[in-house]
Amino acid sequence: MRVVAAQELRDLWLGGRGLVLGFAFSLLMSVIAYLVATNRALNFLEHRETVNLTLQVAIAVGALLALLAAADTISGERERGTLESLLLTPVSRFEITAGKLLGALSLWLAAFAITIPYVWFLGRGVGLVGDALATGALVGTLLAVFLASFGVLISVVAASNRVSLSLSLLVLLALFVPTQLPSSAQRGWAGDLLLRLNPITAGEHYVGRIVTDGHPWSKDISWLLSPAIAAVVFAGAALFVGARYTRLGGGAAA
Amino acid sequence: MSAAIEARGVERRYGSLVAVEDLSFSAANGEILGVLGPNGAGKTTAIRVLTTILEPTRGEFQVAGAPHTRPAEIRARIGVLPESAGYPEQQTGEEYLRYHARLYGQSRAGAGEVARSLLEEVGLGGRRGSLISTYSRGMRQRLGIARALVNQPRVVFLDEPTLGLDPAGQRQVLGMVRRIAGERGATVLLSTHLLAEVEETCSRVLILNRGWVVAEGTVGEVARRAAAPRSGRIRVPPEGAEAALVALASVDGVEAAVDGRPGSLTVTLTDTESMNAAVRAVADAGITLLSSELEGARLSDAFLAMTEAG
Repeated sequence: MRVVAAQELRDLWLGGRGLVLGFAFSLLMSVIAYLVATNRALNFLEHRETVNLTLQVAIAVGALLALLAAADTISGERERGTLESLLLTPVSRFEITAGKLLGALSLWLAAFAITIPYVWFLGRGVGLVGDALATGALVGTLLAVFLASFGVLISVVAASNRVSLSLSLLVLLALFVPTQLPSSAQRGWAGDLLLRLNPITAGEHYVGRIVTDGHPWSKDISWLLSPAIAAVVFAGAALFVGARYTRLGGGAAA
Repeated sequence: MSAAIEARGVERRYGSLVAVEDLSFSAANGEILGVLGPNGAGKTTAIRVLTTILEPTRGEFQVAGAPHTRPAEIRARIGVLPESAGYPEQQTGEEYLRYHARLYGQSRAGAGEVARSLLEEVGLGGRRGSLISTYSRGMRQRLGIARALVNQPRVVFLDEPTLGLDPAGQRQVLGMVRRIAGERGATVLLSTHLLAEVEETCSRVLILNRGWVVAEGTVGEVARRAAAPRSGRIRVPPEGAEAALVALASVDGVEAAVDGRPGSLTVTLTDTESMNAAVRAVADAGITLLSSELEGARLSDAFLAMTEAG
């Protein structure tokens, strides 16, 4: 697993793809930080809310990057014709999948590292930098593990890399839909349930409660349930079920 | 089971489609076994089953002393060049081999050493630091063969290793195949549809057609088994062709005809001995015999007879 993960990291970061994505991410964070700090329309945001907004964007985009990298893992190797050589080695399919998952998660770690100075800059002086970064790291990691594992699973069964990437993005967009619903739709028991069941909305809600409302960590901990369950279940599925079905042919042949 | 490869009744189905049926054969240590067959004969599927990429739907086999029930053990002892293998374009040849050596449990330093020595062995030492994207098809095939050797395998499977190569590239790869068996003592299973390659390189041959083994043995044995009825060609000076036809008409078991080229006669024979009689009859008639060639004793005839009949 260590050898596969190390190679994934080399391919991703020395191959340049990770650097390009990291650079694009830092550009996005710069634009967000600039807007929330200077734009008149956004200046009405309270200090804590600017940090919350920046952190939520960082978590969403960082997890998206991990998802995209993961969605390319098995289907990408399959499409490039390199999967057979990998499957022919004595390394188990579990180790191959785990190594690739770790490689994909490195994008989230890099995205989070890039986010730190922005959060520090926007949150300095109000004593929430530490809490904001810790919450972001926790929620972001849970969501990144969930989404990257989901990406690996899709990649295992997808007939082509294009299908894998498209399907992963489609599901991600579907998960983000509740965040765009009017606030009236998010109220009541049905709205609450919808937000709690969706790992992304639940995670972002939790970050908001800590960063914007200044709640203690334990008060809204139940909101972390679905991100945590999704991370554990999907990581398990990717590592055990996904590994079992990692085969030369994707789609129906799988 | 002491053979390097031994398969008994191996079958692989894709739903109702039978890709390989009742595959039974063995390959001795150090031999080069050619696997022949037309497109769709089941060669690649058979290799994928034997290399544990696909599970057999029925039957059993062992490779390099490991039974099919222990696939990781088989994979540790074999080397494979898959058909249409892909390569990571952004890696150098040395990085690629080093990575694969590491996957087989080599230390970092050991993997580097293995990579460099194999690249020298396949003639890519001078390009070890170049990106694979800059390699020609022949270089990639040699790199693939080097990758198949990173674990000092006891059995090497090569699926169409000369596909798409020019004659010089083909010769180079076939030379490497002979060295793998000769110098390393590994058993080589060479899948191809180029009959000349098998005749030139392999000690034994297995012909597959529609998933079945239709012939197995040495090249000579297989060719003889499928060769009757035979035909031959006799060349005499153009002015002696008529007289040769008359002489051949009196030989039992021989039918001769002019084949359109001056002085060239096609003879249809009931058996190989008839060719000797035909040649003697021409010589006895005082006609200069320029050449005589017995057809039907070649692997190509056996291949066509066995695969077209199926």
